[in-house]
Amino acid sequence: MERIVEVVPEAGLHARPASKLVKTVNRFDADVSVGRAADGDDGSVRADSMLAVTGLNVGHGESVRIVADGPDAEAALDAIEDLLTSPVEDGNGGEENGGGENGNGSEHAEDDAEGDP
Amino acid sequence: MTGPTTLTGIGSTPRTGVGTARWYRGGADLTLPDRPDPSTVDPAIERERFEAAREEAREAIRLARDRAEARVGGEEAAVFDAHEAFLDDPGIVDDVEDAIADGTPAEHAVRDRFEAAIGQFEGMDGRMAERADDLRDVRDRLLRALLDAPTPTDLSTLPAGTVLLAERLTPSDTAELDPAAVAGIATVAGGRTSHAAIIARSLSIPAVVGVVDALAEVADGTEVLVDGEAGEVVVEPGEKRRAAALRKDDAPVVPEPVSTADGRAIEVAANVGSGAEVPPASDRGADGIGLFRSEFLFLDRESPPDEEEQYEAVVAALEAFPDDRIVVRTLDVGGDKQVPYLDLPEEPNPFLGRRGIRLSLEEHADLFETQLRALLRAAAHGRDGNGGGGSEGDGASDDDRDDRGGLAVMFPMVSRVEEVEAALDRVESVAADLAAEGVDHAVPELGAMVETPAASYLADALAARLDFLSVGTNDLAGYVMAADRESDAVADYHDPLHPAVLRAIDRTTAGAEGTDAWVGMCGEMAGDPELTELSVGFGLDELSMSAVTIPAVKERVREVDSAEARELAEAVLRCETRAEVRDVLGLDE
Repeated sequence: MERIVEVVPEAGLHARPASKLVKTVNRFDADVSVGRAADGDDGSVRADSMLAVTGLNVGHGESVRIVADGPDAEAALDAIEDLLTSPVEDGNGGEENGGGENGNGSEHAEDDAEGDP
Repeated sequence: MTGPTTLTGIGSTPRTGVGTARWYRGGADLTLPDRPDPSTVDPAIERERFEAAREEAREAIRLARDRAEARVGGEEAAVFDAHEAFLDDPGIVDDVEDAIADGTPAEHAVRDRFEAAIGQFEGMDGRMAERADDLRDVRDRLLRALLDAPTPTDLSTLPAGTVLLAERLTPSDTAELDPAAVAGIATVAGGRTSHAAIIARSLSIPAVVGVVDALAEVADGTEVLVDGEAGEVVVEPGEKRRAAALRKDDAPVVPEPVSTADGRAIEVAANVGSGAEVPPASDRGADGIGLFRSEFLFLDRESPPDEEEQYEAVVAALEAFPDDRIVVRTLDVGGDKQVPYLDLPEEPNPFLGRRGIRLSLEEHADLFETQLRALLRAAAHGRDGNGGGGSEGDGASDDDRDDRGGLAVMFPMVSRVEEVEAALDRVESVAADLAAEGVDHAVPELGAMVETPAASYLADALAARLDFLSVGTNDLAGYVMAADRESDAVADYHDPLHPAVLRAIDRTTAGAEGTDAWVGMCGEMAGDPELTELSVGFGLDELSMSAVTIPAVKERVREVDSAEARELAEAVLRCETRAEVRDVLGLDE
């Protein structure tokens, strides 16, 4: 099964959101892959690899396609969707229930001026 | 060692501290042994070694994360989660295990796989390039575990009263130090003008550099006194010596501006390299800031600061010194100062490559424009908001030397008049944009750093177009003498007291004579009280230095007679060797 999700965290699929994605995937009994929605199957990589996920260089606001296979596929997709649609991830992200308690700090809206001349 | 032993080096921060010696061995040697024949490798053993190394690395990463979280919060700690994710990356772990199964020792398998991954990320944009740094970090943790190499000390959490001993410190090592905890620094290598020494000075940490091999004999845990004024490291100083050293007070702080004995005003200002250095500069009696290194706003982050952030940083400095001038140097990167997300060109000889104004006018034109917008807006703040005015920089028409307040902006690494003209054009067009937008702004005083022999030769032409010049003696000495300031092998060349350097300084002040431009000096020479008379003799109007030496220099300025100082300068300019210069100045060779 699969799902298309827009990446909401400001950092895109980098640093913390990426490592949380990998951590989340590892909690479930499912094979999960992720890629840019626009790229179809071609750009899809294993979602349990930090190297592969950050290598996608997906930014804030882009849509990704998540494909999951296995006994926990549905639960994995739910957890991933929660994660990728929460603007700010809080705390240490261990056994949370999907990140509902975000409230503070969602004002970091200015550093999308990535790169430079 | 028993009893007090005195080791001699080069005093770097002229303060004294006593504490407990602790060696810092930063980048341990992670050279791998030669790759053995695959048939001699036992994959089972290697797999176990790899597993054990991963566990060791994991523990270290978690410890680092917890510490970072306690000190700076979750945001900074998040990077360690990424490190742990790399440690468990199946793409890495599987490949390493495959290589081990083929008869590769664990350390070679790790290195090969990480090199490949690092290569993948390198050369991508800023954020991705930082992942390469993360991978290097994880790789080194694994290799240290596999090679049983010592773990580097976390410099930011040293216990109070530590005297840090090291072969050498990198600028980032030094920047991590907590001035409240570190009682002193002594290094085997390094010179007074290395960036690490300069950072130590701006943190006011007592420091002696260039102690050479004798320092290696000092064991961890020994009581050590670092006398940055005498340039001495005293091992087991004993009660008397320690009390005497700590009593030897710095010169008293003089909060008001000073003049020479015959009444010539000399501005004594501070060099600052971070916002945190502004208040201590004020505490030590600085008459404003003579060098505000704006690049600090660009370091340790993933993308450049926006206009608002830069504006606020400059306004904060202006507010800390309401009656004084703040001289902001526009972004000076390149050379040895690298900023990952700026994608600076790789050059065989970066000191002679694209740096300072060269980048600002071309590759970094957008960053330059943003910076100028922030600065012109801040300039209006400094002038109580009478925006819009100002000359285009052709002479100091409306700026009186008596009016010390407000913002000044200088361009680094100038070597051509065309660069100054282009920079002035940019300022003009930014001012026009701001005026069109109805944004409050003013054109600050504009100046150039004199760091290249070219700028010294052209001082008259530069001064005719600008409000001021500021001599950067460190780079000027480096470029005049063709000697790399970070290279110990040519440290001897790198001294402003070489006659060629002194003549380049004199040429600068002489070139500006007859124009309205004032001339300052913001290199290390400006902060040496033994050279204050000479600086006055060269006709400098402003001396800017690490805050720690301000009281001593102010005290010295008051004793100097400017006519005698001029005679001294003339005598020095007749010298042909450094030995003669030192002799004339009454310094020991």
